Amino acid sequence: MDQFVFDAKKRWVLGGGMILGLLCLIITFFVDDQFHTRFWTNYLHNSVFFTGIAFISLFIIAAFTTALAGWSTLIKRIWEAYSLFMIPGLILMLVIVAGVWGHWHHLYHWADTAAVKEDQVLFGKSGFLNKYWYTFGTLIIVGAWIYFAMQIRKTSVAEDSNGPGEDFSYHRRIRTLSVIFLPIAGFSSAAMIWQWVMSLDAHWYSTLFAWYSAASWFLAAMALTILTVIYLKSQGYLPKVTADHLHDLGKYLFGISVFWTYLWFSQYMLIWYANVGEETIYFRERLDNYKPLFFLNLIINFVLPFFVLLRNDTKRKIGTMVFVSVAVFLGHWLDFFLMIKPGARITAMEAAAHHAGEAAHHVEHATPFAIGFSFPGILELGTMIGFLCLFLYIVFTRLTQASLTPKNDPYLEESLHHEVV
Amino acid sequence: MKHQKEVIYGLYDDEEILLRAVKKAQADHIEIMDVFTPFPVHGLDKAMGLEESRLHIAGFAYGLTGTLTAFLFMTWVFTRDWPIIFGGKPYWSVPSFIPITFEVTVLFAAIGMVVSFFTVCGMAPGRVNPTLDDRITDDKFCIAFNAAGAEEEERDRLRSFLSGTGASEVNMKTI
Repeated sequence: MDQFVFDAKKRWVLGGGMILGLLCLIITFFVDDQFHTRFWTNYLHNSVFFTGIAFISLFIIAAFTTALAGWSTLIKRIWEAYSLFMIPGLILMLVIVAGVWGHWHHLYHWADTAAVKEDQVLFGKSGFLNKYWYTFGTLIIVGAWIYFAMQIRKTSVAEDSNGPGEDFSYHRRIRTLSVIFLPIAGFSSAAMIWQWVMSLDAHWYSTLFAWYSAASWFLAAMALTILTVIYLKSQGYLPKVTADHLHDLGKYLFGISVFWTYLWFSQYMLIWYANVGEETIYFRERLDNYKPLFFLNLIINFVLPFFVLLRNDTKRKIGTMVFVSVAVFLGHWLDFFLMIKPGARITAMEAAAHHAGEAAHHVEHATPFAIGFSFPGILELGTMIGFLCLFLYIVFTRLTQASLTPKNDPYLEESLHHEVV
Repeated sequence: MKHQKEVIYGLYDDEEILLRAVKKAQADHIEIMDVFTPFPVHGLDKAMGLEESRLHIAGFAYGLTGTLTAFLFMTWVFTRDWPIIFGGKPYWSVPSFIPITFEVTVLFAAIGMVVSFFTVCGMAPGRVNPTLDDRITDDKFCIAFNAAGAEEEERDRLRSFLSGTGASEVNMKTI
């Protein structure tokens, strides 16, 4: 079965999930504070998370192609489908961009012109943290990513129908595109993460942040890939994908989990050790007011995958892989929750105080426990399910548009005979 | 005087031929003493019916020993034996212990596994292990049968098995 069928039942289930997500977003909008902070942070959180998964899938294709990896060819079509979610992802992010221009939301402190004038730090950063760069970055950089995603996809699909070409010309073209894309992806993803996520804590910065959140995207994408592969296999697709392929995907989930922890800890320890007030404020806020999430993040994203996936045989069994993948996927969604909510909440509280006529620097940073900020509530979960269903709807539509097996890929034979142990 | 035995072995030129021969030996219920290859051959462990190595379980235990040694030692030093304040941090400041704990974990696991592996294989500095043929560390693949105490008829059967499955050379050696 090479042709994926996106039947009515699947469409209805995913459509229902999307409606649930939309409902949750609408309810959030109406139970919200005056700036609709909960609504906008939920929207930004999920848009960044799923657009990032799409981006990192293209990165995975490019990195594997450049490294001449053969084992992954059988599941390459899943990543191609993922990467094309960047097109709706760009539209989702453009709503945030429009919000910056139209002052619909108070997510970013640097978008507040009055605050930037009287704030030395924000003024100093205003060369990069401004609405022009934000718009340029989102439009041009994500646009460039989409260009590469579409070109790679087009070449890959053309290879299916036209054969490998003279001297594997199609594969060579994909490789050329990949090699050009990799450095662009490395630098531009950092810029986008700074703009989209890190600038929520506009006074704070960390040079490690881009790596750390890109690793988070990578793990979410890998966990979702494993779940998709297992789902497709349970439906009778991808018959040639064996426990050996699952084993290698599991190694990525394990290895990058350790890498993520390494980055998380490096960022934490350097800031903790140097003990500079401007830097420690980031962790101070999270340790004081977000303690359960802060430690849950480490347990679910490091301790759990580390000890479960340490053994060989757990990476080859569907049950343990589904369990770990679901946990890691939710874990990195929580990780982004913890990156986005605290900063945006403080910005909103300061803006509210400002509107009420108090001087902004007199605002106490005591942030009381509130569902939706200190811990994700039902509305957050529903919104995430809605975005996930939208993501899968687009992905399944893309999967129907090409054969699930890249028929003429020169590395297909290697992937078919992949053996790990 | 060490325990000596006679070994009949065949040298193959290619790992595919070797793999087929190993599978045939298993099917014919001929007991293989050992297989020597210059590099790991995929699927060979399965074909020989070898059990999974337990070395990694030992490795986990060594690593855990390293984790505990480093962490508890630093805890003891900085809270009981010689408490010093560094950079205004508390005596027992866990984040600063983690890099060293990690390093010692890796060190213990690595050295422990190397020593275990050497012990299990009977290797030690200065000790010379007999090799059947120097070329099995270069470009030849070897299947060895234990021929100690076997009748001449049995030895002929082993020799013909080796040459019949594509061995380029068949020899006997006492090691």
